[in-house]
Amino acid sequence: MTKDKMSFQATAGTAGLFVVAAALRLLLFTAFPGLPNLLTGRVEISTPVTSFKRLQEGLFLYNHNVNPYDGGVYHQAPLLLPLFSLLPDPSTYPIFTYILYTLVDLLSANALYKIAESGEGGASRLYSSPRKEKRWNGYVVAALFLFNPFTIATCIGRPTSVFTTCAILHAVAKALSGNIFTSMLSLSFATYLSMYPLLLLPPMVILAYDRTYNPKVPKSLAQLAGMCTLAVSASLALLFLSSYALTGSWEFLSSTYGIQLTLTDLTPNAGLWWYFFTEMFDSFRSFFLGVFWLHLSSYTPALTIRLRQQPLAVITLLLGIFAIFKPYPSIADTSLFLSLVPCFRHVFPLLRYSFVTASVVLYGTFLGPAFYHLWIYAGSGNANFFYAITLVWSLGLSLIVSDLAFAVLRDEWEVERPEMRGKEIRQI
Amino acid sequence: MSADIKNDGDPKPSSAEATVSLPATGIAIVERKEPPPEKESDTRRRSWIVLSFWLIAVFIGLPIWWNTTTIYRANLPLTQMTDWADGKACEPVFPLRIALDVGSLPEQEAQNLLRLTQHALDDLNDFSGHHLRLQLAQAPTEATTQVRDDSNVALTIRLAPGDAAHTASSSLHPHLPILDVQYPPNSLPTANSPSSGLATYIATQLGSTFAEEQNIISYLLETSSITPEHRPKGISQEVVDTVSKRMTRSLKYSQTYHLTFSLFTNGPVPSSWDIEAAIDEYMKPVLDMLKTIHDFTIDTQVQLYASPGVQSHVLGKEDLSSFINAAEWPLSPSIGGAPTVNFIVYIGNQTIGVPSETDAAETSQSWMIPQWGSVYLLAPPPAEAAHVSSETLKQPILTFTSHLLTLLGTPQSGSVPLRLSTLARIRSADLLLRASSSLGSLARLTLALPSISIPSNVANGVVKTIHHLELACASLGGAKSLEHARIAEHEAERAFFEKSMVGQLYFPDEHKIAVYLPLLGPIGVPLVMGLLNEIKAWKTRRSQKLKAA
Amino acid sequence: MKLPLALLLAPLLTLVAGLHTSNWAVLVGTSRFWFNYRHLANVLSMYRTVKRLGIPDSQIILMLPDDMACNPRNAFPGTVYSNSDRAVDLYGDNIEVDYRGYEVTVENFIRLLTDRVGEEMPRSKRLLTDDRSNIFVYMTGHGGNEFLKFQDAEEIGAPDLADAFEQMWEKKRYHEILFMIDTCQANTMYSKLYSPNIIATGSSELDQSSYSHHADNDVGVAVIDRYTYYNLEFLESEVRDTSSKKTIGDLFDSYSYEKIHSHAGVRYDLFKGGADAARSRLLTDFFGNVQNVEIDGTRNTTMIDDELISLSKTIARLSELAREEELAAAKNNSDAKPVPRKVQVTKPLSDDNWFTKKLVGATALAGCVALWGLGSYLEI
Repeated sequence: MTKDKMSFQATAGTAGLFVVAAALRLLLFTAFPGLPNLLTGRVEISTPVTSFKRLQEGLFLYNHNVNPYDGGVYHQAPLLLPLFSLLPDPSTYPIFTYILYTLVDLLSANALYKIAESGEGGASRLYSSPRKEKRWNGYVVAALFLFNPFTIATCIGRPTSVFTTCAILHAVAKALSGNIFTSMLSLSFATYLSMYPLLLLPPMVILAYDRTYNPKVPKSLAQLAGMCTLAVSASLALLFLSSYALTGSWEFLSSTYGIQLTLTDLTPNAGLWWYFFTEMFDSFRSFFLGVFWLHLSSYTPALTIRLRQQPLAVITLLLGIFAIFKPYPSIADTSLFLSLVPCFRHVFPLLRYSFVTASVVLYGTFLGPAFYHLWIYAGSGNANFFYAITLVWSLGLSLIVSDLAFAVLRDEWEVERPEMRGKEIRQI
Repeated sequence: MSADIKNDGDPKPSSAEATVSLPATGIAIVERKEPPPEKESDTRRRSWIVLSFWLIAVFIGLPIWWNTTTIYRANLPLTQMTDWADGKACEPVFPLRIALDVGSLPEQEAQNLLRLTQHALDDLNDFSGHHLRLQLAQAPTEATTQVRDDSNVALTIRLAPGDAAHTASSSLHPHLPILDVQYPPNSLPTANSPSSGLATYIATQLGSTFAEEQNIISYLLETSSITPEHRPKGISQEVVDTVSKRMTRSLKYSQTYHLTFSLFTNGPVPSSWDIEAAIDEYMKPVLDMLKTIHDFTIDTQVQLYASPGVQSHVLGKEDLSSFINAAEWPLSPSIGGAPTVNFIVYIGNQTIGVPSETDAAETSQSWMIPQWGSVYLLAPPPAEAAHVSSETLKQPILTFTSHLLTLLGTPQSGSVPLRLSTLARIRSADLLLRASSSLGSLARLTLALPSISIPSNVANGVVKTIHHLELACASLGGAKSLEHARIAEHEAERAFFEKSMVGQLYFPDEHKIAVYLPLLGPIGVPLVMGLLNEIKAWKTRRSQKLKAA
Repeated sequence: MKLPLALLLAPLLTLVAGLHTSNWAVLVGTSRFWFNYRHLANVLSMYRTVKRLGIPDSQIILMLPDDMACNPRNAFPGTVYSNSDRAVDLYGDNIEVDYRGYEVTVENFIRLLTDRVGEEMPRSKRLLTDDRSNIFVYMTGHGGNEFLKFQDAEEIGAPDLADAFEQMWEKKRYHEILFMIDTCQANTMYSKLYSPNIIATGSSELDQSSYSHHADNDVGVAVIDRYTYYNLEFLESEVRDTSSKKTIGDLFDSYSYEKIHSHAGVRYDLFKGGADAARSRLLTDFFGNVQNVEIDGTRNTTMIDDELISLSKTIARLSELAREEELAAAKNNSDAKPVPRKVQVTKPLSDDNWFTKKLVGATALAGCVALWGLGSYLEI
C-alpha cells in the first residue's frame, strides 16, 4: 500500500518534472527565436556528423530528388531524411522540430529514470557496494539530466546526436529490465546513427546477462553474447538494407561512417583529433588515423574485463572516454556521460578531485567560445587558442573519468579489505 | 599518487597501468603492514587485460602500421620501358609506299621498270630509317583494300610518255600527292637491261623529294634517347646544324594551338580592325588544311597607346629582339590549356633597318620569333583612319600564315600535300620518340628515388603508352600512326607528371623517429612494461611451483 | 669503333652549341611577417631586374608568401622599397605574383619545378620549360644547414631540391640553370645537387650567417640583404640592357668578403665544360630574355600568296570530302552503338514526388516503431 502510494507520488513528481523541463525548453525556443540558429552554428554543439544545418541541407537535396550526399555536406544516416521529411519545413514551422527534440530529451530522461531506479549503479548481480544505500532516485537523476545546461544547449542546437543519446540510454534501460532484444535493437539504432556505440556491445551484453541471470537455469554467457551479436547484426543489416533501398547505392556508407573513420572534414570541434590531423604529415595521416581509432577501441575489452562485476560502470566510463577521444565529439556526448554519473552517487565521497574537475570544466566551458571567437571572428588569436582550450576541456573530462574509475575501484577494493575503509592509500 | 586505479581517463592512454595497479597489489597502509597475498583470480584477470591490449596491438595495430606506412609502388615494366627509350623495342623505320602509275604500259614492262627503279632507289638511299618501297598502282596482285586505301600511299608517280626529243621531266601535282613524270618513250628499259636512265631519273627525283623529310627524321633520331647501335646511320654535321636550327624554331607539338592576334598602336587610332574577315580570307583555308594534324583556337585584341620596348625609329637586329614590351603588353599565354602563338601587328612609324641585307632593308616589315610568334610593322593608315580594313591586313595575315607554317615545323620543299603528309610523319616520329624517352625517364626515376610512391594509375598510363607505342610503331608512315603516337605521348606525360608522385620525397629516418617517438612512446612503454611484468610474475610462479613440487 | 663515338658525341655537341630559346625565372621568397620585409624586397628587386632585361611575366614565376605593400605596419602603403633612398618602388603597378600567401609551400615549389600539377593549374602558374630553356632560380628566406624554411611551418631540404632538379633534368625540362640563394648557410643548399648543367651560387658558407645590408629608418626594418644588394648593384650598373656582354664570371668575381660579410660560394662542377664554360656564359643568358629573331627578306614574304590560299582551300575541301566518306564508310561498316558515357550534369531541382517521400518517411517510421513494438511484445 505504502509502496504503491510512493511510486504514484514518484510518477506524479516525474510528470511534473517532465512538464517543467519541456516548458523550459519550449520557452527558450520561443522566447529567443535567434537562439536555436545561434547554437546550431556553434562548433561545440554541432559537428560535421551531427549538425542540424547539414541535416537541413541533406533534407533539401533529398526532397528535391538529388542524392543527399552530393556536395559533401551531409554526413548523417540516410534514414533520418525520410523521418525528417515527415515534419513540415523547419524554417517555416520550426515549432514541430522543437517539439520533436523536446520529446526526445524527455524520452532520454525517462530511460535514465528507469536506469537510476534499478539501482544497478550500487548493487549489481556480482557486486554490492557497502555504500549502496546512499543513492539518488530516478527523479533526481532525470532532473540532473534535464536541467544540465549542456543538455539544454544540445537540445536547442538540435544536433542529431540527441537521437543517439536517446537510443543508448534506452539500450541500457532495456538491458536493465531484461529486454535483451529491444536493448540490442536500440543499440543498433545508436550504432546506425553514430557508429561508435557499437563499442558498447560487450558491456551491454554483460549487463543484459547479469540482469536476466536465473540461478536455477544458468545460461552461458557465450551463448547470450552470440545471440546479442546476431540480433545487432540482423537489425543493423536491416537498417543498412533499407538505407540502400532508400538511396539506391552503398555510397552512404563512405559518406557517413567513412567520414568518421578518415576524418575528412576538419571543421574544428571540442575534441582532440582535428588539430592533430591538420598538422599531421600527409604520409603518416592514415597510420595515425589507425592509431587513434585503435586507441579509442582498445578500452572496451580491458575495461570490460576489469570491471566485469559492474557493467554499468563500464558503460559509463566508456561513454566518458568516447566523449573525449571520439573523432567528432561535442557537448552532447559530454551530457550523455554526465547523465549517467549520478547513478554512482554512492562513490562520490571517494572522488578526490571534484573541485579541480569542476573548475577545469567550467573554465573550458566559458573560455572555449571566447577563444573560438578570438580566432575566427576577431582574428586576434589563432587556431592554437581554441585548441588549447579543447585540451583543457578534455583534461577536465578525463579527470572526471579517471576519478570515477578510481572511486569505483576503491569501492570494490574496500569490500575485499574492509579494514582499509577511510584510510589513505599509497603505491608500494 | 596512487596506482590503485586504472587510470582510464588519462589523455595518454596507458595500458600497463591497468596491470601494475590492482587493488590488492600496490597498497600499503601507513602502519607498514604487509598486504595480503594477491588472489589467484586477480592475477588471472590482470593477465587477461594485458593480453587484450596486446591482441589489439598485434592483430590490428601491426597490420594497420604496415599497410599505411609502406610506400605504394606499383609494378612498372621497367625493362620494357628502358627498351623503348633505348630504341630496342621499335625499329624506327618509315616504310613509305610509292605507287607507280604506269598508265598504258604493258604489265611486263611496268614490272621491269619497277624493279629497276627500286634498285636505283636502294642504291641511292643510305638512310635506313626511311625506306621507300615502290609498288604498282592498280596492280592485280595487290589486295584490293590496300590499293583503295590511299592514305598508306605516300606518293603516286604518274608516268606519261612525253616528247621523244626532250629528256624526262617531272612536276609535283599541286593538289594531290602525285608526281607527274614525262618521259621520252625510248627511255623505257628493255626486259633485261641492268639499268635504265628513266629508273635512275625517277629514283633521283624521289630522293630529292624526300630528302628534307629524311634529314629531319634522322635528326630526330639522333637527338633522341635511342642508343647509337639501335638507330639508323646518321647524317652529316652541316645537315644537323641546319635542321637543328629549323627544329628549335618550331613549337613543341600540341594537338591544339591558340592563336592570338594583337593590334598594337602607338596612338589613339586605329582602334578597330577587320581581323575576322581577314583571317577568314587569308588564313582560314590553311588552318582548315592543317585540321588533320592540329586544331586551332583564335582570339584577338586591340591595344591603344602601346609603346614598344625599343623607341628608336629604325630598328636594328638587336632592337628587334627587345621590341616586344613583355612587361606592358598583355600577351598572356594563359588562355586555355593550349600553347599560344602570338601574331602582332604594330602600327607605328618604326621601320626595320638591317644594314647587311641592302635590298631587304627597305621592304622587310616583319620578323619571326622562334617558338613564340611573329611581328608585323604596319605604317599608320592615311588621314588617321580609325579602322584597318581587311585589305590592309592581307599582307600581314599572309605573312603570319607563312610564319605559322614555319612555327609548326612544316617542311619547306615539295608540294603542299606532300609537305602536309611529311609534317604528319615528322610529328609522329617526334611524338613516338618523346613518349619513349619519357618512359625511359620514368624508369630511371623509379630506380633513382626509392622513396617516391608510384600510384597504380602511373602503371596504367605506362601500359597504355606502351600499347599505343606498339600500334604507332607498327603503323609508322601510315595514317594511324600520328594518332597512336599522340595518345602514347599524352599518356606518357600524364604518367610522368602524375600529381600524387610528389608527396613524400625526402623523409629521413631521424624524422620518422621524431614522428613516432613522442606519439607512440606513451602507448608503447606501458604495453611493454606490462608484458615484462607479466612474464616476470609467470616466471616466479613457475619457480614457486617447482619448489613446491 | 670511332663512328658510334662520334654519333654519341654529336647530340652532345649540338646541345652545347645549340642556343637556348627561352628564359625563365623562378623567384622565391619564403618568409612571412613584417620583420622579414627584406626577403620580400630581395625577391621583388630580382623580379624587377629580370623583367627589365626582357623576361616576360608569363615566364617569371614569382612566389611571395606575404604582402608587405599592404601590411598595416607599412608607413608607405602600397609600396616596397629595397633601398632607403626609396627611389624605386618595387611594387609599382605592374606586378604579377603567381603564388602568394599560404600558396607558397614546399609542396607547391616542388610541384612547380617538376610540373606535377593538376589539370586545374593555369598555365601562368606553371614552369613550361623544355630542353632549350634557361632557368634562373632565386631563393631567399631563413635557412640553416641544408634546409630553407618555408613560411613558419615547413622547410625544404637540400636533397629535396636536388631530387627536384634531377627530375627536371630527366624530363628535359631545362637547358641550363643558374641557382642563386641568399640565406644563412646558403651554400649548403646547393651542396647536394647532382644534375648536370647547373651553376650554383650562395651567399654564405656553412655556419655563416647572411647579413642584411641596411635598414630604412622610416620603414623601420632592414630593406635588403647584402648578397642580393651587391648582385643587384652589379646587374644594374654593368648589365644595362640585353646587349651586355658581361659574363657570369664577372659577376662572381665581384663578390668579396668585405662587401658581403660572408663567403659567397660558387659551384661549377655540374656544368658541362666546368668552370671555364660556366664563367663564360653571359649574364643575359639567365637574367635576360634573348630572342633570336628571324627577319623576313622580300622573297620570303611572297612564300604564301593568293594561289596558295586557293590551293589550300581545295585541299581542305578534298580532305573534308575524304573524311566524310570515311565517316560514312565507318557508319556502314560498324553498327556498334555509341557507348553511353556517364556525364556529370547539373540536375534540375524538383520536388515532384514529395508525396512518395512522405510515404517513405511514414513507412520508415512505422517500420522502426513496429520493430520496437514487436521486440517489446515478444519479450513481455
